[in-house]
Amino acid sequence: MSEAVLAMVDVQAGYGGGLVLQGLDLQIDKGTITCIVGPNGAGKSTVFRVISGLIKPKSGTVTFLGKDITGQSPSAVLRAGVAQVPQNRALFPEMTVHENVLLGGYAIRRDRALLKQRMAMVEEMVPLVRERAKEHAGNLSGGQRRMVEIGRALMLNPSLVLMDEPSLGLDPKSVAKVALLIREMAASGRTVLMVEQNVRLGMNLATHGVVMEQGKVRLTGDAAGIADNPEVATMYLGKARED
Amino acid sequence: MEIVQILAFGILMGGVYALLSSGVTLIFGVLDVVNVAQGSFLVFSALLTWQIWDLTGIEPLLLIPVMGALMAFFGWIIYRGLVKRVVPQGPGMTVLLMFGVAIAMEGILNIAFGNKFKSVTPPYFTQSLQIGELVLPYPQLISGVMAAIVLVGLFFYLKLSWAGRALRASAQNKDGAALVGISSIKASSLAFAIGAMTAGVGGVLLIIMYPIYPATQYDWIAKLLGIIVLGGMGSIPGAVIASMILGISEAFAQAYIPQWSAAIFFGVILVVLLFRPEGLLGEKTREDVTT
Repeated sequence: MSEAVLAMVDVQAGYGGGLVLQGLDLQIDKGTITCIVGPNGAGKSTVFRVISGLIKPKSGTVTFLGKDITGQSPSAVLRAGVAQVPQNRALFPEMTVHENVLLGGYAIRRDRALLKQRMAMVEEMVPLVRERAKEHAGNLSGGQRRMVEIGRALMLNPSLVLMDEPSLGLDPKSVAKVALLIREMAASGRTVLMVEQNVRLGMNLATHGVVMEQGKVRLTGDAAGIADNPEVATMYLGKARED
Repeated sequence: MEIVQILAFGILMGGVYALLSSGVTLIFGVLDVVNVAQGSFLVFSALLTWQIWDLTGIEPLLLIPVMGALMAFFGWIIYRGLVKRVVPQGPGMTVLLMFGVAIAMEGILNIAFGNKFKSVTPPYFTQSLQIGELVLPYPQLISGVMAAIVLVGLFFYLKLSWAGRALRASAQNKDGAALVGISSIKASSLAFAIGAMTAGVGGVLLIIMYPIYPATQYDWIAKLLGIIVLGGMGSIPGAVIASMILGISEAFAQAYIPQWSAAIFFGVILVVLLFRPEGLLGEKTREDVTT
């Protein structure tokens, strides 16, 4: 049996009085790339918000590497090993690429040796971080920024990386580079959980797929199976599947 | 030579403006709060310096670290006790809050120190340094140099320390800062403390140069707000450049048309903003890079 990195059991969560997640059960295994798809309002982003501690669930539990992290603060979740690459551009535009990535290690700032080691690791995984070290992040292209964002998230050597729409707004060449990096992350033993509007791209990249609807998991399975599921094909992939 | 003399005066005064306005613009950058009480902080520090000097006769420059630390603590308390609670209500409410703080402080200072001008007059108060034909009065010279030293220290602190990086990160992208584990409350407290620290140091420097009384805060806050708007809200380099431009223009105005010096100070701001509404180093839209 595969090792679960993250388990969400019967999670109910929402904003104000309303519930967006209505009893969500989800298990993510180590080393997998899981892509969550679903229509707008299905609760995909809310799943991320609950995991990263931005929203406290009303009921249910979130377990990460065997520890209960339900309702913990975002910084505690970050330190536990869950990093996030958000949909919105999250870099510091007037700082250099090096400073941006360095700040990814803010939580380990007192351990200089570890910080140096992690920077070397990130520079190897994302060569752009070294090549453009002195450039201001605000001057980078969308694809380059996304790579730096991923590099920054890797500074804490996370076990789980949450990626919200990694391909959003990127040209095909950049998407290919980001996809390659995501695969490398998984190959190095990290687990990736992503939300992707581009279902075809998401399922091509992922090893596992999750289809959400109305705050619940409707379907799970390996990515190829999900992509070939006739229902999903009609719902999300449209005519293009028939090509 | 006269021009060099005026220029030197302007640069020294610009240095003092730069220190004081950096504090206001730093707070704005990190918290989106316009600290209109900076003038009161400044006057509070100045009058306290006068009081200690009057009682003990201590060399006022020795009080620079003391007043800096004291005002940093004061700023921290104001943030934790008041500003933090009002920030969620939006920038308009925080301006009102800080205006209230400014008026309340002015009233308390009036009661404590009286509504009279106070001056600190150390032995070098009337002396000058003469380099050839250039005459630099010690109070202006010391204040300008001290302000520059503190400002350079602040620059390196913001550039090289982790706390400074966290502050700059919060100022540039709050969501991004939260994502890497920077606490916005801690960053905001520190920004407020540093902002108030600049007023603490500035208060000592000002009372060596000018007589001060509680309502002097209005003159100063008007100037400081003008400087940070001219420099671009939230930009420390912008505030430094604006301070130099205004310090120098004011010095020339005082030399040739003294009755117009205040009009020149604000006139320069008006003219620049007509052509660059976002200020010298301000950004037209931050959205293009941060959203």
